[in-house]
Formats: sequence, structure tokens, C-alpha cells
Amino acid sequence: MKAKNECYKHRSNGLWFLLLFLLPCQLYAQNAITIKGTVYDSADGTTLVGVSVNEKGTTNASSTDNKGSFILKVSNANAQLVFSYLGYKLQEVSLNGQNTVNVKLEPESRGLNEVVVVGYGTQKRGEVTSSIATVKSEDFTKGAVRDAAQLVQGKVAGLRITTPSGDPTASTQINLRGLNSINGSSEPLVLVDGIPGSLNTVSPEDIESIDVLKDGSAAAIYGTRATGGVILITTRKNRGKSKATIEYTNYVNVQKIARRPELMTADDYRRLIAEGKNYTDFGSNTDWLDEILQNPVSQNHNISFFGGTGTTNLTGSVNYRNWEGIFLRTGQERLTIRADLNHAMFDDKLKTNIQVINRTTSSTQGGADGYAYRQAMIRNPTDRILTEDGKWQERAVYFYDNPLSRINEATNDNTFREMRVSGSLDYRPIKDLSLKILASNVQNNNLNGNSTTFDHVNTTKSQLNGTASRSTYSNKENLIELTANYAKSINNHNFTLLGGYSWQDATFENFSAYNFDFPTDAYTWNQLEAGSALKRGLAEMTSFKSKWQLAGFFGRLTYNWDEKYLFMASVRREGSSKFGVNNQWGTFPAASIGWRVNKENFMRDIAVVSDLKLRAGYGVTGTIANEPYMSQSSYDFTYNEGAFINGKWVQGFVPTRNFNPDLRWEKKKEYNVGVDFGLFESRVTGSLDYYTRNVEDLLYNFPVPVPPYLTGNMFLNAGTMKNSGFEALLNIKAVDSKMLKWNTNITYSTNKNKLVDLSNKQFDVTTEFFDAGYTGEPIQSSTHRVKVGGPIGQFFVLKSVGVDDNGKWLVENKDGQVIPIAESTAEDRQYYGNGIPKYLMGWNNSFQIKNFDLQVNIRGAFGHDVLNMQRMYYENPVNKAYNVLKTAYDPVYGKQLNTDLVYVSHYIEKGDYIKIDNITLGYTLPKDFIKKISNLRIYVSGLNLFTITKYKGLDPEGVSYSGDFTFAPGIEHRDTYPTTRTFTAGLNVSF
Amino acid sequence: MKKKIFQYIIIATLVSGVIISCTKLDEEVYSEVLPSKFNPSEKDLPSILAPTYASLRTVMCGWQGYFDLQEEAADCIITPVRPNGWDDAGTYRRMHQHTWTTQEYQPFNTWQNAYSSITKCNMILSQIEEGTLKLEAIKESAVAELRAVRALAYYLLLDNHGNVPIVTSFKDVSLPKQNTRAEVYAFVLKELNEVLPVLSEDAATTYGRMNKWGAKALLAKIYLNSEIYVGTPEYEKCIKEADDVINSNKYQLDNNYSDVFTYTNQNSKEIIFAIPYDEIYGVGNQIHLKTLDPLSQSVYQMTAQPWGGNCAVPQFIDTYDADDSRMKDSWIQGPQINPTSGQVMINYVKFVPGMGGTDGIVAASNQGFRIGKYVIKPKATGAMDNDFPFLRYGDVLMMKAEALLRTGKSNEAALIVTEIRKRAFKDNPGKATVTGADLLKGSNYQYGLQAPDGKVSVVNGGADIVYGRFLDELGWEFAAEAHRRQDLIRFGVFQTKRWFNHSPHPQAQTRTLFPIPQDELAKNPNLKQNPGY
Repeated sequence: MKAKNECYKHRSNGLWFLLLFLLPCQLYAQNAITIKGTVYDSADGTTLVGVSVNEKGTTNASSTDNKGSFILKVSNANAQLVFSYLGYKLQEVSLNGQNTVNVKLEPESRGLNEVVVVGYGTQKRGEVTSSIATVKSEDFTKGAVRDAAQLVQGKVAGLRITTPSGDPTASTQINLRGLNSINGSSEPLVLVDGIPGSLNTVSPEDIESIDVLKDGSAAAIYGTRATGGVILITTRKNRGKSKATIEYTNYVNVQKIARRPELMTADDYRRLIAEGKNYTDFGSNTDWLDEILQNPVSQNHNISFFGGTGTTNLTGSVNYRNWEGIFLRTGQERLTIRADLNHAMFDDKLKTNIQVINRTTSSTQGGADGYAYRQAMIRNPTDRILTEDGKWQERAVYFYDNPLSRINEATNDNTFREMRVSGSLDYRPIKDLSLKILASNVQNNNLNGNSTTFDHVNTTKSQLNGTASRSTYSNKENLIELTANYAKSINNHNFTLLGGYSWQDATFENFSAYNFDFPTDAYTWNQLEAGSALKRGLAEMTSFKSKWQLAGFFGRLTYNWDEKYLFMASVRREGSSKFGVNNQWGTFPAASIGWRVNKENFMRDIAVVSDLKLRAGYGVTGTIANEPYMSQSSYDFTYNEGAFINGKWVQGFVPTRNFNPDLRWEKKKEYNVGVDFGLFESRVTGSLDYYTRNVEDLLYNFPVPVPPYLTGNMFLNAGTMKNSGFEALLNIKAVDSKMLKWNTNITYSTNKNKLVDLSNKQFDVTTEFFDAGYTGEPIQSSTHRVKVGGPIGQFFVLKSVGVDDNGKWLVENKDGQVIPIAESTAEDRQYYGNGIPKYLMGWNNSFQIKNFDLQVNIRGAFGHDVLNMQRMYYENPVNKAYNVLKTAYDPVYGKQLNTDLVYVSHYIEKGDYIKIDNITLGYTLPKDFIKKISNLRIYVSGLNLFTITKYKGLDPEGVSYSGDFTFAPGIEHRDTYPTTRTFTAGLNVSF
Repeated sequence: MKKKIFQYIIIATLVSGVIISCTKLDEEVYSEVLPSKFNPSEKDLPSILAPTYASLRTVMCGWQGYFDLQEEAADCIITPVRPNGWDDAGTYRRMHQHTWTTQEYQPFNTWQNAYSSITKCNMILSQIEEGTLKLEAIKESAVAELRAVRALAYYLLLDNHGNVPIVTSFKDVSLPKQNTRAEVYAFVLKELNEVLPVLSEDAATTYGRMNKWGAKALLAKIYLNSEIYVGTPEYEKCIKEADDVINSNKYQLDNNYSDVFTYTNQNSKEIIFAIPYDEIYGVGNQIHLKTLDPLSQSVYQMTAQPWGGNCAVPQFIDTYDADDSRMKDSWIQGPQINPTSGQVMINYVKFVPGMGGTDGIVAASNQGFRIGKYVIKPKATGAMDNDFPFLRYGDVLMMKAEALLRTGKSNEAALIVTEIRKRAFKDNPGKATVTGADLLKGSNYQYGLQAPDGKVSVVNGGADIVYGRFLDELGWEFAAEAHRRQDLIRFGVFQTKRWFNHSPHPQAQTRTLFPIPQDELAKNPNLKQNPGY
């Protein structure tokens, strides 16, 4: 504790000393002639604030004030003035004796001079030597997007983004360049304006651009959190213009289940009963799936405004979203408020920024979880919903509840609140040096309440007499970063130097309480003490707290000669409290080089090539253990290890884990080579990248022998994993006329994964494989096997090749012979297909015809397989107590199945698909059509519109590849909240 | 200019000062106990000892644990495929047919938990030895108890896996060397005999713990099986240890058979060493959930839905005398009535068509008698209150009886068996009496394969089993007490007979030991697989 206090004290001292930077500095110069002028935007004629004005070849410099005016003393009447401004083309003006100069700056065209956000700074696209993808807001997916990831879906080669469920509270899934860790996280680091956050920290409307640092040389500056790549989200800011704008956007959408499973109806039951099948007819007609589905209408409103002057300005936004789900009583409300304040002082030498983001998401949902969905699938369609006396009709069958009672008699209330405050001071004591301090504090908390009434099966079947629980958690995260950036150009030598320090700490706490046996169900979770289970010792309560710290030092040097030969090197030294005392610190270096071939003389005559850059990079990043304390030698008191001693039950005192003080960083070493090109005056631009990455010292819950160890696993560093792949991006301005503009963009990526090794020097053994995935009840077997030397994602299954006359499966044994499944053993299982796509493609088109705009986004994934769990469970009529798919009585290999449910390869299907994912048609009203409104656009949009696939399930993309499914990708789970098709109508107005 | 540069240098120095002091990465621990924060004393001893016993709770009734390992490999209990599952990739079928693989979970689970207890004992013993755990006056008795618990855990390995490494040090994490079954046998005997003088003789305060009588009962058990373990019979030693327990007068037979197994059985006078369970503190006894059909939930007004499950082998049920009250006390059978509605929820019948799975046979929800020995408390939760009687007085008596029988004293044995039978035939006392001659007869069990229609074919009967009648007595008295596999091996039945869907394994003799778990072989190259696997 002492150390911590000291730390904070010193830090505040540090802040105080930094305030010394505020001292105004004096310029020492001797000038003769005074020049005045104003700088305008050539497009809209507004004045520009903060444009730097230099006299070429001297140190004389100034910048425009809040009216766009400048005063500069120059040394001679024929001097050259250089006007530079971020986002605009550099302009040089010869004075030729004039004393007044008015200049119109042209906005920079996209392309090589485009500014790319890199770690702790920006770089011109043309100077970038590593693999970085940028998507600007005008290229974002339009319509009802879930979070930031969906904005760039299909637009970044190598970044796999899917929406595996239609649950309105769920988020997208994201993965970059394959799976890179076993027990560490493969999730990319998301930074919102430099501060760690998530893909839904800010509303999609508030995002200006998204940059993705893909390869190791780009990401290594973020050291240990960067193995999964880095996603840099830049929020919309008032870029120093003094114009005030208000923008309002809204949309309304409706959703439909993307594809509805076709189950047997009451008529089918009666027909089968007539054929002698052993089904029960309860006399009603109920479409259970219809009963749990609703037609959701959702809405979203966003107001943003930009205002202020060149020295003080603000951006504010309020976003409200209310989404409903397709299941009854599902939905989520979200309110995000953001304020961004900037103030500059001392001739812009000191820039300050304060940003506040407040986010609240809340939902009051019923019990429409995956289990209720399953109950709707399997419930007898001849059964009724309610009994004569208005109670839910229940049946005493195993794992079989009335889905409507589960949905309606349970309430699940959740509120998440987050407050993010960040501030920065950027001091430029001299022109080329920037000293910056960035600090942030993020606090969030979540409160959940859950209860079931007396009419829920918890009481009607399990006699619990009402259940209620309350749980909460909170996170506190502090970040402080000090950086110094120095940029200098001497003749043709351009270099930048960055140095910095970063500190991050995070504290997590939670608490939960559960009780049951209430005198009334009216309290829900608001009077937990009323339940008698607490008095009887059957209630439950938990609490937990953890903390981790991360400290890092980093430096980066970039150098280029005449923007022709480019070089970058960086290093980060980082320490984490999560590792063993002996191994807390790791070093993560990176270097990359680039060659702008088109700048060479020999390329001058090749007019076709407007840009050609070759680049290569190498970088090391680390992966941190997911949880703190994994190396700690500590003990727990727990009743799980307790016993009845001396006539009473006592908690046992046991080691928390097998001790491992040697736990250390998992390291990824990546090579990346690429080429960026522009052809036909940049009408065609693109990049190609090839990478290969080796992850070493994989963090793994390694099997250790029992004895001598206490438990059979120990968290340690073991093994190597390799990923390699190719990525291509192509942008084409296919048609660029006054009438019609057509831009098309194609992304393509491949990834090949291999688990090279799983071994640890300390243990003289190698693990050959581990199993992953789980079919669930009643089949109860693992679905995947990860084999050393093989790729992640392989299914491991009995290969079915036919069905015999008795309706039993015929499978292939390990020698390739066909045998009845009855004679098969576990050794006959084989690798069959893989759940991870080999190729991903995106094809995005935007058309502009007069005032109409049209976006068509097409995505596809190929070369993978999907385990169709709904077919595995519901396409076999063995259990007459449960309903099944209409296809359950279709012959399989020409025979009627008459077998228990089993996991065989028959249910693993080719998962290739092409999705026409997004079509948006917009119309922008002519300018000044309505006074005071500078821009008005209306649009309609469809999301997840068509899927072209041979896959028989609901959605080949409805598969998870994170969490429990990290090593069992490609399972379309029977309980997954079905994906939806969304139709949106919206409006954007700016004043 | 120079002055400014100087200023920057000062600032830079100070800033780096901040940085250097802000690299403290010590973990702050909140929800775990660091050794530095815990200074154990005598009052903490129960918590320190407890984990060594906790493993036994997991091993006995844990998922696919020791109970299943002993019963499903034997001839009383099966887990057939049901409409609600229970194929579980064929594991119950393999247990039944003795075709278990080296990766079967049941033997693995026993290994893991036995060694977990052993390692915890080793850890605490090393802490006591080093003085990090100061126990002063009670040090000697604590050490004795820990060694006794460790010996008990080794006994489980001795019986099931045989050739296992003997590890007694916690500090040494080098890969252990394998020992032979004979070495393990010798080790367990040595340990138990050495600690006997120090172990507590007080039965009342040591419930659920290893005391002198528990150690002696365990010794009797090991001596009884000595011929199987090392080829040398030790029946005299068995009788001596049993007599010590009997003559201590600390234990007696409970008046009612069900008193030993009911949810208040911590009051039993008969239990010598129990593995205590509790619905709140010591959860883990799920025998009721695993055996009962979901429909039985309302019969007991349970707050958890059962998912059973396992049931009695019909051929075993046929061996019971109709008047033997243990038949009703051990097995749930017939119509099951919801006490509030009076409705018959399910009617358990004896017949079970087969293990199912591969041949498409699925046992109906109501087929097979269910384990009812561990009396289900009304409104039971998912965890039973019933303690598991690992060693009981009745067991000691029967061990003595068997040792007498096997040493030619069948009449003396018959007296003990008669005493045991008396509480099973209270309504018909005449039937309680057996003679020495009876005990020399074969078994009533109609060993043979059962066809799906219930007919037993390929009969090889029980008449030829030496002391077969005594084996039957063991079956009736100790059904569903995780004894049966060991008893069948001792009587040679395990290796030779057919029952239900089970035929002797081609290498039947090797099946009397389970394989060393494949996972452990892979992790420790010093280990060699048991013969036959």
C-alpha cells in the first residue's frame, strides 16, 4: 500500500512540474517587414484558424488567429511564404513585394498525403512503412450498425468481423490475422482517442475514422496489449473551424428473423400419430416459435454540434438508441453523451483538451435466453399455452419447460454506466518539439437484478417459491502517458523522434447475492432479505476484487530521405504485475523500412504508376495473461475444500493454484512485407501484404503430472503457434464523371494457422493435442481437437458414410473401413473440416448519381465448415417427447434414421457463403432547398439482406469464435439467438 | 537560450523521477490469502486438515467418481441409455463391459482425487516439519492423522490402479518413479501400523476423520484382499484387526438398516469412517439426482430436478429373498406418488432391456429400480445430507466372517452373518439364520447374458462360485456402497461371469486393475502402463 501512495504523490508532483511548461516562451528574432493576410478554405470560403505560416528558409513563423488572420515579420520583401494546415494541401506564395496576402487552401485529396493515425501520433500515408488500414467516416457502413466494428465490416483486409447473434445486447466479434493466443486474449486493443476502450465506447455516429494497426512493426509501440492488433478510433472533432454546426441524424428500423427454422406443426404430429408414431396429441395448435417472436421496431437519434473559435472550441453529442430484439421481452436502451473541449493558449504553443464520455445502457428483459428458445423449438405443437385456469401449461418431462412461462415469469434488469474523463496538455516549446501529457480515468459499474415469479418453473416445478438475485461489478482504470515528439527536417533528411512513458492500473470489484423462498413474488429483487433460504443457509453471496498494473517506456525513430527511403524503429519496455516477480518486464522491439520506388528517376517516365512503395517490417508484441494473480503463491479458504471436523463444518485452507513464479510474457514475432501502389493518377490504389507471425511462450494451462503436483494443470509458458497470410486491398474509382461516380473497393485475405508445439522445458513431455468444444446434452462429447502440428479449428468426429437398413449410422474406422457405429470406438474419430474460413472477401461499392447515393456491400467467407447443431439435435426423431425439424423424417443416405442422437460428420456442412450485407440508398436534397439547412439526406438501408450459401442452417455466420468457442469455432449452436435482417429508414440533417 | 535549456533539463530530470518511481508492479491481492498474511495456530488446524478429507468427498460421489467406478464395473448397478441421454459416448457401456479405455474418466478421477489428498497431506506434513505450521502439543496426533489419511488415499490407488508412484515429499517436484503394487501395499500397511498408537481412540469426536478404529478397519480390509494384492492371504491378521474394532465397544449395529444411510446418519452408531456430506456446507452427494427420473422430482418435492439415470441390474434384484427388508430399503421401486396431488408420477419396474446405445435400445424412463438406500429427504436440494459410510461396523463383522469362512470356520462365520441378517428379517426372524453349510454353497445369482426381452441366456450361473452364498450376502448388505467390484474380484466373479450385457473381457485377469490414466502417462514418462492395456 505504501508504494502505491508514494507513486501517486510523485505523479502529482510531476503534473506540477509540467505546469512549468506553461511559462510563455519568448521568440528571439530580428525581422524587418510585416506581412498581413487571411487564410480561407477554398471549398466553402470559411476562414481557417491555426494555419501555420512560415517564411521559407528561415525560422520566422506565425499562425492564423481565430478570424483566420495572421501577421508575420519577414526578412525580405520577396520572401516565399509557406502555408501549412492539417488536412489541406501545402501552399507556397511569393510575396513579390506585397504586404497583404490572402490565401485559399485546398483540402487535401485522399491518398498519399492522407493522415494516418499511428501509435502516439500521425503519419502521412505515403510515409507509412508498416501495415495500417484506415477507414474514414464517409466509407463507413450506413444504417443500423451495432458498434464501431460493423462500420468497417468487410473493409479492412484481414480483419474478420461478424455478428453471430441477433441479441440486441450482444456485440460484434472481431479477429485480426487469426488466432494468436491460447489463454491470453486475441482481441485487438481498442483505443478511443488514445485511451483504452471498446468498440461501443462511443456511438458509431461519433466516429471520424478507424485505423487498424495490423502488423507487428506498427503495433509494437503498444507492446503487450497489441498482439491482436490495435484499433484506433478517432472521434469527430471540431477541426479548428470557427463555424458552428448542428447535425441531427435518426433512423428507425424493423427486424425479421434472418431464417426461421421449420419445425413440425400440430398437423404434422397428427399425421405421424395416424401413421403409428408414438407422439402425444394434446389437442391444440400452437406455433411456439411464433409465440416467442415479436416484430421489433427500434430507433436511434443523434445530435452533434460543433462550435467555438480557433482557440477554444467544443464538440458535443447526444446519442439515444432503443433497440428491440426479435424475441419477446428483449431489447436495450442506450444513451451516450460526449463533450470534447479544446483550448489553445500562448500562440497555440499550449493546447489542452478535455473529453468526457458518459454512457448508460440499460435493459429490462424477460427470460428469453437460449434455453427458452430451445424450449420453443422442442415443445409439442399440439400443446396449449395456458391451462383452463389460466396457468402456464407445464409438463413433467426432462429439460422441458413452457418457453412462455420462462420468458414472462422472469425479469432480468441490467444497467451499465460508464464515465470516461480524459485530459491532455500538449506543449510545443519550440516548433519541432511537442511535449504531451495524457491522463484518463474510466469508471464503470453494472447493476443487475434477476427474479422469477411464483408462476415460473423455478416454483411450479422446483418449489423454490420465487427466486431473486442482485449483482454488481465495477471497474476503475487509470492511465497516464507522457510523450515527447520531435520532428525535424534538414535538407532532405526528415526524422521524428518519440519517447514516452505509460502507466495503467485497473481495479475490478464485484458482489452478488441470491435468495429464494419468498412469501410473495411482488418484491422481485428489491427485498432480498425476505426470502427464507437465507435463514436456512441456502442463499448465495459472493464478492471479489482484483487489481493489475502495467508500466511501459517506449521510443520510436522515423527517418526518411526525401520521402523516398523510409525507416522506422521502435522499442517498448513493459512490465506487468500479472507475471511472476522474476519475469515482469519484457522488451518489444520493431523496425520497418520502405522504398518509394516511384520517386526514383527511372520511374519518371512510367506515367501509369503514380505511386509505388515497397515496405517490410518486423515487430515483437506481447500477450498478457488474461487474469491477474496467475503467478501468485496464495491460498484460499473455501467450503469446497472444507470438511466436517470436530462436529462442525469448516472451510478448507488450500493453495489457490500450482505455484508458478516464473510466468512470463507470451511473445509474438511478426514479419510483414507489403506493397502500396497507385495507378492511373491514383484512380486505382491498393496494398498487398504478406505476413508470418510466430507466437512463442504461449500461455497455457499446461497439464502437469499428479503427483507431484496438486492439480493436473498449471498456468505456464508452453509452445509456439504460427499464423501466416496474405491480404489485398484494392480501391478503384471506376467511374468519375459529373453524372455518375462509382467507387469500388475489394478486400481479400487468407490466414493459415498452425499450432507448432505445446511443450515446456521444465516438463519433459509434449502435449500432443487438446480437445475443445462441447455438444451439450444429451450427446455430451467434445467437438474439436487441437493437434500439435495442425491448425486450430478442426472438428474431430466420427465420419459418417452411410446408414444401414436398421437406420444405424455407418462410419469409417481408423483404418478407413466402413463399420457400424456400434463397433466404433473413440479411436475411430478423425479430423473433419475446419471452422475457420480460409479466405475472406469484401466488395464494397458506392455510387453517386446526381443527388442519389447508393452503397452496396458484399462479403464472403470461404473454405470452412459449420457444425449445424440444430440439425444434429432436431433432425433425428428418436425422442418423441421433443419436437423436431420437418426434415427429421427425410431419409438419410436413403434410409430412415433409427438411432440415438450422435455427433457424426453428417452434421458438419460446408460453410461457404456470400452475403449481400448492406444496401443503402440515400437522397440528398439540393443545397438551400430549405433555408438554414445546409445538408439534408434521407436514406433507406437493409442489413444482412441476402445470403448465398449451401449451408442448411439459419446463418453460416451465426457462429462464435471467442470465449468457449475460441478453439471450437464453426458451431452454429442450437441455442444461439437467431440472426436478423434489418430494414432501416433514416435522416441526416445539418444546420 | 542557455537558461531555457537548463530549465528543460531540470524538468526532464524531474519527469523521469516520476516515471521511475511509478514502475512498482507488486500485485495487490484482495481475494486470496498470501502466506505472509496467515500465521496458523492450533485453532486453524481443522481448516488445514479439511482439504485432505474434501478430496474424498469428490472422489466418492463426484461426477463419474469412485462410486461409479466400483458399481458400474460390477453386477448390481448399470447406467443404460435413456430417452434423456446417458450414452455419454459409451462410457457406461464400457464400464459395464470392462472395455474401458486408458482415457476413461472414472479411473482418472479416482487417481486425481486420491493424489490430490496425498499431495495436500504431503504439503501440510512438510509445513509442520519446517515449522511454518506450528502445532506444539498436537503436532504428533496431527502428523499421525495426516499419515493415516494419506494411507487411505493410497489404499484407493492400491486397489484400483495398483502400480502407482509413492510420493511422500511436497518439495520434490521431479517426476515421480513408479512403484509396484506390492510396494504400495507394504507402504500402506507400514504407515497405518506406525501411526496406530498415536491415532485417537475416541469415536465420538472423530466422526468423519481417521481414528484408530478407522485405521484398523482399513487394515482389516487390506488384509482381506491381501491375496489379490500380493498373492499372500492374511485372513488371521484381518480377524485380529476386526476383533480389535469389535472389542473396543465403540461401535454397534444400528437398529434399523436405513439408520446407517439416512440424511441424519451422522448419528449412526455403526459408521466407523464416514465421508460426510451436507446440503449446505459439504455439497457433492448427488446419488439421488443421478438415479431418479425427472418425474420423481415432485414425489420428494425436490428443489432440483433429477436427471437419472442408473438403476439395479434385474438379475441382481432376482437374488433377494422376498422377505429381506433390505430389498425395499435399498431400491426405489413401484408407483411413485406425489404427496400433495396423490397422483402416480412414475412406476419403476425391475425390467431393463439393455445398456442400449449402439443397438438402438433405449431403456424407458421408468425401467430399473433406483438407488434408494440413501434416504431422500423431503424437499431435498441438489445436494444430499446423507454421509457416505466408507467403513462401518457391519462391514467389519462381515470381513471377519469372510476371513473365518475362508479359514475353514464356516459355523463361526454363520453366527456373524445371522446377526447381520436379523435386522433384515425382523418380520420373519426365522429366515435370518444361516448355517455354516449354507455359506459353503454357491451363489443364487443367475449369471448370464440378458436378452432385450429380459430372458437370461448363455447362462453360466452362480452355483460354481466358491462361497457364492457369502458373496450374495455381501451383495444384499452392501448394495450401492461402492464395495461390489472389490468383492467380485475376491470371489473370482469379476473375471469369469456374464451378467446383463457383460461378458468376461478376453484379458479378464488384467481388468482387475484399471489402467494408469493416459493423461498421466503422457505427463510423466517414468510411468508404465499396467499389463493388458
